[in-house]
Formats: sequence, C-alpha cells, structure tokens
Amino acid sequence: MGSGTQSAPSQEGHAATAEAAPSYPIELRGISKSFAGIKVVSNVNFDIKPGEVHALMGENGAGKSTVIKIMAGLHQADEGEIRVNGKAVRFASPRDAHHAGIATVHQELLLFPELTVAENIFLGQTPKTSLGTIDWAAMRSRARQLLNSLDSHDLDIDQKVGNLSVGNRQRIEIARALAQDARVLVMDEPTAALAEADVQRLMTIVRNLRARGVAIVYVSHRMPEIFALADRVTVLRDGQHVATKPVSEVDEAKLVAMMVGRSIDRLYPAKQGKNGDVALELRNVSHGTAVRDISLSLRRGEILGLAGLVGSGRTETALTIFGITPATAGEIRVDGKVEAINSPEMARDLGIAYIPEDRGQQGLIKAQSIEDNIALANLKRLMRGWFVDVAQVTAEARNAITRFGIRARGPEQLVRQLSGGNQQKVVLGKWLATNPRILIMDEPTRGIDVGAKAEIHQLMRKLAGEGMAILMISSELPEVLGMSDRVLVMGGGRILAEFASEDATAEAVGAAMTSSTIKEIAA
Amino acid sequence: MTLSRWLRHETILAVLTIIALIVLAILSDKFFTTENLLNQGRLMSEVGLVALAMTFVIVTGGIDLSVGSILGLTAILLGVFWKNVGLPLPAAIVLAVACGTFAGWVNGFIITRFRVPPLIATLATLALYRGLAEGISEARSVRGYPEWFFFFGQGEVLGVPFQLWILGIATVIAAVILGLTPFGRATYAIGANETAARFSGIRVNATKLWIYAAAGFLSALAAVIFVSRVTTTRSDMGTGLELDVITGVVLGGTSIFGGRGTIIGTVLGLILIQALKNGLALSGVKGDGTIVVIGLVLIGAILAGALFDKNRGG
Repeated sequence: MGSGTQSAPSQEGHAATAEAAPSYPIELRGISKSFAGIKVVSNVNFDIKPGEVHALMGENGAGKSTVIKIMAGLHQADEGEIRVNGKAVRFASPRDAHHAGIATVHQELLLFPELTVAENIFLGQTPKTSLGTIDWAAMRSRARQLLNSLDSHDLDIDQKVGNLSVGNRQRIEIARALAQDARVLVMDEPTAALAEADVQRLMTIVRNLRARGVAIVYVSHRMPEIFALADRVTVLRDGQHVATKPVSEVDEAKLVAMMVGRSIDRLYPAKQGKNGDVALELRNVSHGTAVRDISLSLRRGEILGLAGLVGSGRTETALTIFGITPATAGEIRVDGKVEAINSPEMARDLGIAYIPEDRGQQGLIKAQSIEDNIALANLKRLMRGWFVDVAQVTAEARNAITRFGIRARGPEQLVRQLSGGNQQKVVLGKWLATNPRILIMDEPTRGIDVGAKAEIHQLMRKLAGEGMAILMISSELPEVLGMSDRVLVMGGGRILAEFASEDATAEAVGAAMTSSTIKEIAA
Repeated sequence: MTLSRWLRHETILAVLTIIALIVLAILSDKFFTTENLLNQGRLMSEVGLVALAMTFVIVTGGIDLSVGSILGLTAILLGVFWKNVGLPLPAAIVLAVACGTFAGWVNGFIITRFRVPPLIATLATLALYRGLAEGISEARSVRGYPEWFFFFGQGEVLGVPFQLWILGIATVIAAVILGLTPFGRATYAIGANETAARFSGIRVNATKLWIYAAAGFLSALAAVIFVSRVTTTRSDMGTGLELDVITGVVLGGTSIFGGRGTIIGTVLGLILIQALKNGLALSGVKGDGTIVVIGLVLIGAILAGALFDKNRGG
C-alpha cells in the first residue's frame, strides 16, 4: 500500500532534476545495501533541507539503522548515490561524513566517561595554541558557549562525563556535533532512554537547532514527538521506501499503517478462560533492602501486572523468584510446595521462565546463532545420550522461527544481526521451549516496534488462555492497564497497592506509583 | 552451521602447517623422517596436554598462568612422596596428580567464589605453587626412579611414544566434550556472555571449577610424563610452560576474549610451533632466529584470522 506512489524522483526523473536541484545538505538517491546476500535496504531516497526536521520511521528491521549508518559513513552503499549540496560524494569512513558536515548522535552514546565534558566535546578537534599544545582556555570557553547555546547553562564543563545522566550526556553529544560545524544532525532514537523532563528539554533543543538552520534527521518510534517536531516524515518497510510526506498530511493511524503494511488493532487482546490454581506464591519474601516483605500469589491463566517507577524493586523481585538473588527471608511456593530457589537452573527446572529486561546483556548471546541461543536453556532436553542433538537443536529453532514469526535467514543466523523485536522473539522462543508454567516478563515490549508489540501481546494472552501464569513487569502504563488481570504497584521494594482490573485506571495506578516515592523520601 | 564458521581459522592454519612441513622437509633431509617426527611428538606431549585444558579455560574468557607451576609442584610432590615419605611409587603418582588437580581447583575456587579476575588469581598462584615447590624440594633433585617408571616418558606402544597415545586419547576426549556436549556449549556460552549464560540456567561457577580443576589435572599428568622422560625431579620444572601453551592455543584460533576456539585449532597450532622449532633448528637456524619466526607466524595467523572475521560482516 502506498509503496512507490511517493518515491519521488525515480530513475528517469533524477538525471533531469540534478542540475536544478536545490542544495540539500545531504541527499540519498536509490540507495541499496546488502549484508551477506540479504538486501536490507533497497532503492531508498531521502533528502533533507536546512532548517528542517525530517523524521525517519519504520518497524525494527525496516532498515532505518542501515540508512543512518550509510549517512554516517559507517556502511558503504552497494548502489545509489549520496550527494552533499548537489555534489555526488562517497563516504569511505565516518571521518569523510564528518568533513561533509554530517554528525550522528547514536543510541549508545559514544563518550569517554573518564574525560571531562569539555574534553569530550573537543575530542579529536582540540583547539591548539601556537606551541601546538592544547589551548585549555579556548577549549573551555568554547565548550561553555556551545552548551549555553543548547540551554544547558547548568552543565559543569569540568565534570567527568561518567557521573552525568543520560540526558546530559546526550546534550554533550549534540554539542560535540555542533563543535564540528555539523550542518546535518542525525539522531537515532534520542528519547529512547530519557526521562520525561529530559525529553521536553531535548525537543526544545531540536527546535532551536532547526531555527539555526541545522538539518535534523530524527529517528523515533514515538508518535507524539514526531507530530510535535517533524516537518516531513519518511517511512521505510522491509528495507523499501514506502513514502515521504509532510507531517501535516498524515495522522498516527496512517503512519502505523504505512509502517506495518496493514492496519493494526490497537486494542489489547481480551482475557480468555478462567484463572486456575495458584501457581506461584510469595510469603513475606525479602532480599536485602531491594525486596522487602513481598507477598503475592499468581494463578494459572492470570496475567499479573507489576507497576512502579524505575528502582521500585520490581526487577529485583523477579530476580529473587528466578534464583539470581535468592530470597534471604520468607518462602516461595511453586504449585503449593515450598521451594528454596537458589539458582536460575533450579527455577527453570521448577517451570519458571524469566524474560529479562536487558535483552542484549542478560537475554541473549548476541555473537551466537539463533539455534545456539534457543538451545542454551534447553540443553538437558536436547540431548541424545551424552551429546547435544544438533538436528533437534536446529528443528527446535526452526519451530520457534515459524511459531513466533522471527524474521531471519535461518536457525544459523547470528542473533546480533537481528532487529530488536526479532531478538526479543528469540528470547521468548528460548524460554517457551523450556515448557514453563510460570512466565516472568520484564519489560516485554521495551524498544520494540508497534507490529511486534501487538504480536507479543497476543501471544501473552494466548499463553495465559492455555493456563500459563504470567507475571509482567512494565513501565508503560497503558501496557500494564491493558494487559493485566490484576495490578500490583511497587515502591521502595514493597508492594504498595493492589488493583483489580476494573479498578485499575491510569489515575489510580499512577497516583499509587508516585505517592510511594513521596512516602519513601519522607521516611 | 556454527562449526563451519569456527573452522575458518583452522583451515588457514592447516594450510600454513602443511606449507611449513613441506618447506622444512625441503630445507633439511633429517626433518621429515618417521623417527624425527615421532620424537617431536614426544617433546610436544606435555605442552599439548596442558593446552587442551587451556583451550577450555581461554574459551570461557579466562586464563591460567599457573599451569607451569602446577607442573613443577606436582613433579616435586611425586619425588617427595616416593623418596622422603616412602610411599610406593604408584601411590605417590596418584597422590601427586590429585594434589595437582586440587591446585587447579583452588584456582577455580578463587576465581568463582571471590570474583578475582583469572589473570590476577593465577598470577598469584603461579608464584605460590612455584614457591611451594621450591620450599618443599629444598633445592634438591630426586633421582633413582625404578626402570618401569620411565615407560611413561620414554616407552613406546606399537612403535609410537607412549605419551603420544595419551595425548591422542586426551585430544579426542577434549574435542568431543567441547564440540558435542552440553558442557562444551556451556563453555562457549560463558565466554561469549557470562551473564546471559547464568540467566539461561547454565551452572557458570560449577563449569568453571571443573575447567580449572581439569587444567590442574592435565598439568599434573604432564608432570608425571616429564619426570619420567628426563628421569629426574627438579623444582624449576615447567617454568615458562604457560607461555608455550597459551601461544599454541591462541595460534590455534581461540579468542583471548572468550567464546571462540576449537581443540582442532589448538592441536594444529601446537604442531606448527613444534615443527618450526625443530625444522629450523635442523636447517641450521639459530635459536633466536627460530623464536623470531614463531613470533612472526603468530602475528600473521592472527592477522589472517582477523581479516576473515572482518569480511564476514555483520
């Protein structure tokens, strides 16, 4: 749908328009790129004008990251042309892109924690005195100027970057880009890791930069930001250019439909079946000061939502149930039997699965293949005699790939080559292959695009309908309210409130979450 | 599947080894004789046994610098248990090997229990075990072992040195464990991402303990063969062994950062080094020259491996 209709200057057109083309600080024409024979980006056109915010959208795996990396000189396109101010260029390295005035603020901030703010901003382009030594005075005053121009008067330029919050570090990255005289600033999901106040501040900065004529490529999943900031939006799907439109001509539903290629049912799936017996019960469980006196029970077929702010003890509770940080007091009952769970291995053998919050570090071995990852939690089962049954491992992985719709070349593809949503599906595949009866999901849809998110929600409901007991931790209030049969609110390591599904409104749960922090501070 | 990916480095190495063998055979007519090759195999066995365990250690992302000291300590204990304590020699051998295994286990215990980085932990025990060996021996060597004992280091079975059989069997066992069993999978997983391995229900600490204990055991076994081969026990035995072992393992394509490596690679690496040492000596190259060549080959092999890694993309 809509594909091709808007993929402006096509092959015939672009030769003719080349002469009269306005001067774009960067322009991609017919860019294609393959990795190991798989085309991840195909014939993508993209341009940006000075003083414009151009949003780049698409599901995970749609090719946004690759397009950005091509602009940053990290990847080289197989086909197509990059033009800077109308002149065709080739970026052999990120250095070439810098020289052409293109700077990127990556998702993982690339700063040196042991250096100061000023040093980080001018790393690699330090002002020199006539003797060739570092001109500290000039460096510090220019750093100050740059940060002031970003409305960051409060940032101490002599502080080590390692001590700063994510929001502050991001501002330093932006200052760094400006110090290089960047005319194009590429921001890859800049708000993904930011708190709400920092998001507002970032949006102000982006508006200021736009007013100063900087061209901003803005990659984000978050609709409100797109509508608040962007002038135009380009949507990619499966590596293809779907459309480029002024933001005024689209709405959220249209964008989602363009990204997914179909319209998404935004409603959360309804509960199926009834709750069964109590599968998991905690009685006064504690672990140090992180988990204090937690009592809860979870039934088969039930989705129990754990809400709370970051640091409220939700993940810590999950880790205690899963045996990573065994309980120091209280008792845990699985199917009514008291169990002293002191290792993840034991938890797994009791039928408990934990989908961790940090997919890359805790959930997956990114350097290994899909099949190796899925096998890892299931080695005891996937054996023939003393040996790992390789055929069965591959079969298991193929099964997971079809069951969860993992987009991959095959079971032997490395996990690090997959998109976030597909990686999460591998984690799910790994743990559901252990045939768990209790599933703990920690931020199950964080950093995942709308399509994959809806699929995971459907899957959770289906599993619950089949009798799985699910404990879901989520920081997204709509998800907690939409998915949970019952909501527990945590704060300071304790359970503060419980809501039945019908009483769980955004106001009530939100109030319980924040009141807790106030109480904690007062205490 | 994954095996083919890991075999890439091994293929380069195999080609390199064959080239080296051909060149050396041309340079010296004494090199490519059955007698010389078997003798080289004999000399390679001690380093080879330890390198098998070291491959596991390095695949988990660890290192064991104390293997040479464990060899020295086991050799001394063997002599002391037999000569000074008066145990029968077979009992002394078993007891000394048990002590060597325990020394390896202690490494693992320090590393897993107290979270000490393997480099630091085994650097400490490198000094500790060597110091114990020197203290216990009081700088006296033990000689006069009975004739039957020399079979381990000097005997032959079907025309092949006895220790080469041991090395062969140990190699097959190690390759099977690393390549085909859940234990091997756990070893790779720990090296590639220890946290994710733990979160997947892998017994990380137990696996590491087994591996370091195995390094102790194979070092102790190498000690028995060593003492038998040279007919005497001295406290400085095995000094510097760790470097030969690590060189072979790394040349064999095992990543020092963990997560990658194979037994086949290690064996090829060892063969290449031993062939170069011996072949160049036979061709009249001086000792220093040999070391330079080995250094260059190591750098070359690692660069070639890195090149292939890069081309793989990702």
